[in-house]
Amino acid sequence: MAVCLLDEKSNVGEDLLNQQDCDNGLKIPRSFRLLEELERGEKSTTEGFVTWGMDKDTSWFDFDGPVQWSCTIIGPPKTTCESRIYDLSIECGPDYPEFPPVVRFKTKINMKGVDSNGRLNPKEIPLLSDWKSQTTICAILQDIRKRMAHKDNNKLPQPPENATYS
Amino acid sequence: MAEASEDSGSKIKITVKTPKEKKDVEVSGEGTIKELKEVVGKAFGTAVEQVCLIFAGKILKDADTLQQHGIKDGLTVHLVIKSVNKTQEQAATRAAQVNSTASGQQPDGPPAPPDVSATPFGLGGLGGLPGLGGLGMGSVNFMEMQQRMQRELTTNPQLVQQLMDNPMVQQMMSNPDVMRQLITGNPQMRDLMERNPEISHMLNNPELMRQTMELARNPAMLQELMRSQDRAMNNLESLPGGFNALQRMYRDVQEPMMSAAQEQFGGNPFASLVGNSAGGTSGQQQGQENTDPLPNPWSGNRSTSSTTTTSSGTGVFNTPGMQSLLSQMSSNPQLMQNMIQAPYMQAMLQSLSADPELAQQMMASNPMFAGNPQLQEYMRNMLPTFLQQMQNPDMQQLMTNPRALNAIMQIQQGMQALQTEAPTLLSSFGMPGMSNPPANLGVPVTTAPTSTPSTTTSGDTNTSGEASDTTNTAPSDTQAATGEMTTITNSSSASRSSTSETGQAAQPTGPDPLSNFMAQMMQMMASGQASLPPEQRYAAQLEQLAAMGFVNREANIQALNATLGDVNAAIDRLLQQR
Repeated sequence: MAVCLLDEKSNVGEDLLNQQDCDNGLKIPRSFRLLEELERGEKSTTEGFVTWGMDKDTSWFDFDGPVQWSCTIIGPPKTTCESRIYDLSIECGPDYPEFPPVVRFKTKINMKGVDSNGRLNPKEIPLLSDWKSQTTICAILQDIRKRMAHKDNNKLPQPPENATYS
Repeated sequence: MAEASEDSGSKIKITVKTPKEKKDVEVSGEGTIKELKEVVGKAFGTAVEQVCLIFAGKILKDADTLQQHGIKDGLTVHLVIKSVNKTQEQAATRAAQVNSTASGQQPDGPPAPPDVSATPFGLGGLGGLPGLGGLGMGSVNFMEMQQRMQRELTTNPQLVQQLMDNPMVQQMMSNPDVMRQLITGNPQMRDLMERNPEISHMLNNPELMRQTMELARNPAMLQELMRSQDRAMNNLESLPGGFNALQRMYRDVQEPMMSAAQEQFGGNPFASLVGNSAGGTSGQQQGQENTDPLPNPWSGNRSTSSTTTTSSGTGVFNTPGMQSLLSQMSSNPQLMQNMIQAPYMQAMLQSLSADPELAQQMMASNPMFAGNPQLQEYMRNMLPTFLQQMQNPDMQQLMTNPRALNAIMQIQQGMQALQTEAPTLLSSFGMPGMSNPPANLGVPVTTAPTSTPSTTTSGDTNTSGEASDTTNTAPSDTQAATGEMTTITNSSSASRSSTSETGQAAQPTGPDPLSNFMAQMMQMMASGQASLPPEQRYAAQLEQLAAMGFVNREANIQALNATLGDVNAAIDRLLQQR
């Protein structure tokens, strides 16, 4: 059984996601996985510091191609990011969840592991570099938020609020 | 979907969460974000300008609507209360005090860091003022209304029926564009169209589409429409320029109607009356309303010999589109099942049995029957029985249960095998479908023309008793199916004997077309081709599963085999197996 990487208690897809590594040649189809995450995002079982959802015109029929998530992270307290709302985009390629998604900040942020275009360098984030297919969008976002509060980042001067990467 | 769907002003309940607390607010499902913000601001005791709402990874903008973001009943929206207090941004403990004083009097000025915490007390007691949601309703535009309608349509089939009877909707239905949009907006329909391009072809023929839908709703109305047609055309002729239109219409509508009429009455409107009194076989035609000024042009060519040039088959049921739909129906059991379960189908079945003539015409134009006058003859005789059986809930259940259909098919196949292996055995049993009509077939002849009551009591004649004897090797759980089967074969044998008496049936020797037909039908219904390997038998379902992302073909086939081709059950199974 997998160790639950998620820190919220009751989430809809937990059973399904945790079972995944005991697969006997069967794995959850990508579309099912994405739908599950979408549902969890809309029902918002998390504390609300991170949210995620799909563009409204993304439908079941588009699930074959890359899927774009819009996400927000509310800056953790006692940091320079406190109470700011950060917009991110997470793109799940056709190989998701076998391969990690691409994470990009839309709101400007000064943070280790984020390049000048807002792209998150996967090498700096163990969660992405040591990707496991049961890692969820939610877990990625919470990991990033934790990083904001890390001592490497929490005192960094931040760009003006609401500034965005072009 | 728990979305309230009574009327346009319906309220939806949204959970608003801050990191510290959570409140439910009620707003109009069609409202804007601004309205939601006002309600939330009241509930949390905050100025509207400070309310920042986030839903599913997006910051909600005032001008947007709830629907644009797909915010529905029961979903959660996150609230961030922006601080207007810029200077103290490093202080972490100031939250509560700011919130209790902040009421929007501060200048907006440069962007300030938002304050996540909300008031734990305050004006929230007002309960979100449901009335506020109703304000600003004028901004809801038609597109949103349509979107909403579509969503409701797809979730509530009952509503569809009601809607169809609504005069406004009927008007809308006369606009092909709206119709097409509606239909293509239905995800199921879209899916279907993607798999069967022919259906989308049909959609491009608005006339056909509308007629089909209206027919599904009310066949009587269609007849009424046709009756008034010739009068309308008279009026049209007197209009300037109307003659050209009339000419076209004549080609498209009147001509097939006339030819249909001629076919039906043999040139003489009273011919059918004569035929009725003379021919004992045409018992159903007595139900026909001969007082109608015109017969139903949607009828097929009732006898294949009397085909007139091109116009003979232009009724709705004979259009290429409809033909292809029918043939698709018979080759796609899934579609058939869905259709039978649809509410309008029930209504249609009822009207069909009320008007056997219509059913007969439909049957006659089915490609399966079209080329086979003998079969049509049989079908006509069997129809009342068949229709009654179709209305029988048991039978309907049977038709929609792939397992039962499979069982019937096995019986049928077994009977066929038995027939080829031991023809004499069968004939001694007096089974229908062998070469020599046995003497005891004379018994059901008397009941045949009024065979409807006899269908329910399947044991009352010799033949049916024998039939169930031959099939009692079937597993016991198909007992009901066997019973139904017996009645079918029984009634068909009855009708067969009646037709043979009047000399219109096929030659009594040689392979019985009826049993052929029965086998064919059973095969079609039971997702067909049981003899094929599962990969081919369930090709469509496999494709569906693959499209959903179930990549393990072996497992898919196994699941489909186990569920007899039921995709939904197969998915459940696959997910459970993991």
